[in-house]
Amino acid sequence: MSDKDKMAKYRTEIQQMMFVSGETGEPSAETTTLIESIVQDQVQHMLRECSVLATRRGSRSISTDDLMMLIRHDRAKISRLRHFLQWKDVRRSVKDSDDKGGDAGADVGQGDADLAAGVVGSGGGPGPEPGKKAKRAKVELVWEVHSFFNENPPLMDDVEDEEEEEMNFATLQRLKNADERTKDMTREEYVHWSDCRQASFTYRKGKRFKEWAGFGLITDSKPSDDIIDILGFLTFEIVQTLTEEALKVKGAEDLYKKTTGGDQNQLKRKRERGLFDPPEEAREPVQPSHVQEAYRRLQRGSNKSRAMLNFTRNVHRAALKLI
Amino acid sequence: MSLAPSIHRPSPREQQYYARFSQQPPNAIRLRTPNPNLSDEAMSNGSNNNNLGEGPDAMAEEDKRAALFREHYILTEARLMEALGGGTSNDNLDAMGIAMLTSSEVAPAAHDARPAVTPKKPTRAIDEDDYGDDDDGEEEEDTRTSPLLSKSAPNGVAGTGIDAPSLRITSLSSKTGIERTSTPSSELTKFSDDVRKRLQQDKKATEDAAKRSFHTLFYTLESDRDAMLEQQKLDELDRQVETEMSGQPASAPSNGAPAAPVQGTLSTTNLGASSLTLKHLIARIDARRDMVHASDAQLRSLISEVRKNRSKWANEDRVGQEELYESMEKVLMELKACEHAHPFLQRVNKREAPDYYIVIKQPMDIGTMMKKLKQLGYKSKKEFVEDLMLIWSNCLKYNADPAHFLRKKALYMRKETEKLVPLIPEITIRDRAEVEAEERRRGNGDADADGAEDSDDEEPIMASRGRKAPSKGGKGTSTARKAPPAGLEGTPGPDGKPVIPSFNNAVSNLKNEFLRADSEMEGSVNGFITPPPGTLTPLGPNGHLRNGIHGSQADVSEADGTGVSVSAFTLEGEDAELDDIEYKTWKQVTKKDRAIIAAERNRLFREDELQVEEPAILRTRTGMRRWLRHRKQASEEDPLTNTTSALEGKDGLQATAGETLAEGIEGEEERQVPDYYDPVCAIPDISERLQWVEDAEGNVIQQVEEYMRIVPKGQFTMPDGALAKRMEANMRQMQETRKICAKIGIVKQMQIQSQMYKSQFQKYDPPSFMEADIEPIVVSEDGPIMSPYVCRAAMQRSVGKIFYHAGFEEFQPSALDSMTDIASKFIHTLVGSLGVYRETPKMKSDTPVQLENGTTTNWVPRFTQEEALLHALHANGVDLESLDTYVKDDVERLSTKLSAMHDRMRAHYADLLRPALDSTAGADGAGAFNDGSEQFVGGDFAEDIGEDFFGFRELGLDKEFGVSFSVPLHLLQNRMHNAYAAQNTNNVATTGVLMEEPTKFEPVATQNVNNEVGLVQEWFLHKLHDNSNESLIEDDDLPPKQRFPKPRLPPTGKISSPRKRPLREQQQMARKKRKLDEDKEDNAGDNSINISGGLAKGLGKPVGKLKLEMPSQKDNQNVPEPEKDDVGMISPESIQAT
Repeated sequence: MSDKDKMAKYRTEIQQMMFVSGETGEPSAETTTLIESIVQDQVQHMLRECSVLATRRGSRSISTDDLMMLIRHDRAKISRLRHFLQWKDVRRSVKDSDDKGGDAGADVGQGDADLAAGVVGSGGGPGPEPGKKAKRAKVELVWEVHSFFNENPPLMDDVEDEEEEEMNFATLQRLKNADERTKDMTREEYVHWSDCRQASFTYRKGKRFKEWAGFGLITDSKPSDDIIDILGFLTFEIVQTLTEEALKVKGAEDLYKKTTGGDQNQLKRKRERGLFDPPEEAREPVQPSHVQEAYRRLQRGSNKSRAMLNFTRNVHRAALKLI
Repeated sequence: MSLAPSIHRPSPREQQYYARFSQQPPNAIRLRTPNPNLSDEAMSNGSNNNNLGEGPDAMAEEDKRAALFREHYILTEARLMEALGGGTSNDNLDAMGIAMLTSSEVAPAAHDARPAVTPKKPTRAIDEDDYGDDDDGEEEEDTRTSPLLSKSAPNGVAGTGIDAPSLRITSLSSKTGIERTSTPSSELTKFSDDVRKRLQQDKKATEDAAKRSFHTLFYTLESDRDAMLEQQKLDELDRQVETEMSGQPASAPSNGAPAAPVQGTLSTTNLGASSLTLKHLIARIDARRDMVHASDAQLRSLISEVRKNRSKWANEDRVGQEELYESMEKVLMELKACEHAHPFLQRVNKREAPDYYIVIKQPMDIGTMMKKLKQLGYKSKKEFVEDLMLIWSNCLKYNADPAHFLRKKALYMRKETEKLVPLIPEITIRDRAEVEAEERRRGNGDADADGAEDSDDEEPIMASRGRKAPSKGGKGTSTARKAPPAGLEGTPGPDGKPVIPSFNNAVSNLKNEFLRADSEMEGSVNGFITPPPGTLTPLGPNGHLRNGIHGSQADVSEADGTGVSVSAFTLEGEDAELDDIEYKTWKQVTKKDRAIIAAERNRLFREDELQVEEPAILRTRTGMRRWLRHRKQASEEDPLTNTTSALEGKDGLQATAGETLAEGIEGEEERQVPDYYDPVCAIPDISERLQWVEDAEGNVIQQVEEYMRIVPKGQFTMPDGALAKRMEANMRQMQETRKICAKIGIVKQMQIQSQMYKSQFQKYDPPSFMEADIEPIVVSEDGPIMSPYVCRAAMQRSVGKIFYHAGFEEFQPSALDSMTDIASKFIHTLVGSLGVYRETPKMKSDTPVQLENGTTTNWVPRFTQEEALLHALHANGVDLESLDTYVKDDVERLSTKLSAMHDRMRAHYADLLRPALDSTAGADGAGAFNDGSEQFVGGDFAEDIGEDFFGFRELGLDKEFGVSFSVPLHLLQNRMHNAYAAQNTNNVATTGVLMEEPTKFEPVATQNVNNEVGLVQEWFLHKLHDNSNESLIEDDDLPPKQRFPKPRLPPTGKISSPRKRPLREQQQMARKKRKLDEDKEDNAGDNSINISGGLAKGLGKPVGKLKLEMPSQKDNQNVPEPEKDDVGMISPESIQAT
């Protein structure tokens, strides 16, 4: 952390993302720096893995498939990512067709934020018209059925995509939480909220992101826009997951403090609480220790990776896990 | 030798020893360090200061009165002890009982046989009558008699057929008579015999228990090495003692004078130990005394020669020495064999404990005692016992620390000693002369002694006559010892009987082993005679014999190189308290034999490699017999099995079978080890199904049929299940889809290529999945088939199927291999962890559980089956959710996806085949008719896409006519190509046909050639001429195979190929053109015709029968053949270039 100013490139973005993810307080610089370094580490790890995969494929440049391959075990995330890519496609086609003018631009902005959160319709932004919606390209995954065969017949329009209905529990929960939080918001607050939702590591900051993620160093290829977008989505996911986990940690800790009497906070307890003071715990932002604990929990290995080592004496060395 | 000799120390009760030792000043108890080194120095330092030459006259003569008092005292003491011990109430009764026991109907055979088997056995605990006899007087053979001669004599006598049972009683009575009138020491003997007997019985009981456990328990072999090393050390000690002893003169003093022989009956003559064994003979001879033409002296010498083996301690001049020393030696041996005896085997090394000799003034150790014993340094039991106790007390004294490990050992050893000491008879060795004098005096006093009294008087005379014999025997070979067993060997019955084991067998065994291992040479070393067949020569090893082979023995142990590390092993060795009593007994009982066996094996594998020079461990007849016997014993102990009759018979047969020399040498020793120590000699069972059983009519019953069975089918195929079926269905679906895929590929190929070959119409027709089961195989067991490669193949097949199911149409064998390995490893660990969970120790539950067989138990498994399974899955990273997801997503949803994909494929294929329905055919589909194709008329290819276009199949026509309405794809080639070409052009043009197709040009013929432009007229004429004046045909109307390839245009519309062409080809092209120019007038006409005649292809082509001109082009050899197409393709550009 010697080059701290260099590190803290995304402080506001991370704060916004954390706000969207449920953090109510103002997280400290340490927290955001910690999260940023975690995210950076994860992104670089992803890029490294991707280049390994690409090399194995015999290609020099990484592709979106490589990225998707990395997160293939997280079905929910894959599904959200596909969703995001589909809408991105739609947005592009809308832009291309250009018949909506400036109005479309606003819509796209809104849509982007929605997508980033894995939300399609709850944002309330008017999506493209149904006709256009039907046209959006389906993002095929490499391990899907179409790759089984060496001919690729054209898509049939009437085949309804059932993947869309696969909205998993976590995503729905996020939507519900967001809905809860926005329910009572005033217009200004909501504007702020929706501004925050647009926070991205990559959106309109492609150059900074590439530099930050070390694109030139880890992979010697020029990343496509798709890759940058996917990474933007994934980085948001990382921050969100981290924040949620850290909030859980903090909640548990608060509960523990409450039940044991909160010995550490004796000073605070002596202070008279005013009528208009905000609720103490809620106002207190997530501390770096919470983030660390959350990170530790998320890095915890599963039995699956250790299964082949059963009945051996080999020590399991877990690789860095993607959040 | 600082013992204060109080000979008549009454009782060997333990309390007394305790009391005595408690009286010792408890000052300065210090460490007595063990002496691990087997250094000669230590041994030579030993206190062997006994003068062997000094006579056993330390005991002064006692007067009769004192003797009587003593006798009474001892008797009462013994009674007291009997009462305390709770044993039999009466000495005499007991003695009688024992006598009865030994000579009862059951025992004699064994009793007789045993000496024959282990003649060297120093003490005879059970048949104590022998002691009485030996004690009373010794009969020695005539020195002139050759052993070989004398040996034959008793055989002859025995062969006269003496009725054994009838005579037994007489000898018994004579024996008891003798005992009654024997010296006080024999009373002592009797008493101590009781104690000994009981101890012996206890010991035997534990040993028997241990032996019984041979059949029921398996002991591991891990302590064998220790046993072997210990034994080697013990042996080393023995040898050292012997070495030192051998340098000294023989100990037997010969100071007696021969007395005149007195005529009497043989039965009253005390023939020592032989009187029992030969009692029948003696009785017979007595009965027919007048018929035997031999003097008594002759007879006696004869009998004494054939008499049973004498102990090495036997000495005529020292009354009681043999018995005392036998027992003392035995006790020492016993103690030496104790597992804790190691620290006490040798003198304490001054280097190890510098202050030892300051603290301990009277050092003592077992080795020293052995030496002393050999040198006949003990005169009474008391001296011996005190020496023994001195060892332990020294140790306790030196090692003051109560926690010191040696104290524990010393205490253990002391306890052991106290247990063993009663075995030693209370005998004080006296000179023969003294005894005789006493006897005489007593004889004078008790004039009313019975008839046996005569023998008392005779005995000394008899004995003194043969006095030289032991000294002779002591010098080198004891011929008397070797010869007698020959006579006994002749009687087969007793030999075969199981030998009652006795614990000092082990000692002789070990020696035997060494003897045997060191080859036959010892026979010549130790004896003047070669052992006659059937004798047990090496079994009588004494000091001299072992001296003879000492060198080679040392070689063996030195080569083993293990002697040094002995103490290290024993010190860290097992704590006595930690082992359970049974295991301890086991170790104790079997130690020597295990050591022997381990040593045997160790010899073979010395220095960690197979020693080829060493004699192999072979199966021996004795070993096999022993094995059978053990088996019999075991089965007898088991009351359920009484099927041993056959075995018994066999056993008996084998036992009486002739014995070879080797066997004789080996002997019938009893090994105190379970049979699995001697696996070489085990006789495998004949399995039941191989037995030869006949039914009532004498036909052999085929046992085989009952055991054979055919392996049920389906063990190596996928079991029927919902999931398996689904996966199968998915795979079939994929195959179907792939079929369509292949057709699509062909169709696409046909569209591209103008011409296709048969080989390109390879029909994709994958065989359906068949799981081949194994061939019918017959097995004779019920278990699963243990065939790794078959199982692996089945596994590999399953993995392959999963691969296919995951979408891989084909895969490399190496991938399949490695995946199979991984999968089997995973399954292995999965099953392993399931086993772990299932075999968790059971828990006690509150409610009893009913088992299947009706019993109830409180012990329930820790995990239920389900729990165990779930735990095992979890430990391997599998949970039910993921399994469920797999089934849902990767199998069920996949099937819907696959069918959707199949539909898409079919639609695509149909589209390809029927361009009419393509969207390019126009909005109303009218364009489908534009190319004038007959596809709607024929409808013949419809079947290819699985459609019953005209309902033929519905009508059953195909079956009726036996024809297929499907058209081979290659027949569609032309149509397809045309259609595709048309499509391509249509793509360029607008959809639908907006313009009328212009009328076709008139074919150029000789008639209308004049209508052409004048410039080309000549060219046309030329062509017509080539075409034998037939009308020229447009390129498009040529039959497909003669048609010139049309240039293919990529979708971009750019002709990219000429750009790649190097300049050289352009030059070639130019050259070609020049050549053409030589033939033709110009190319312009060609161009114009093409443009006018072509269907908006925009591509100039060589017109008409250009193909016929090819030969002329071929003259130009520098143009490669494949370039023909290129010529056609690039011609427009080259034209433009020109």
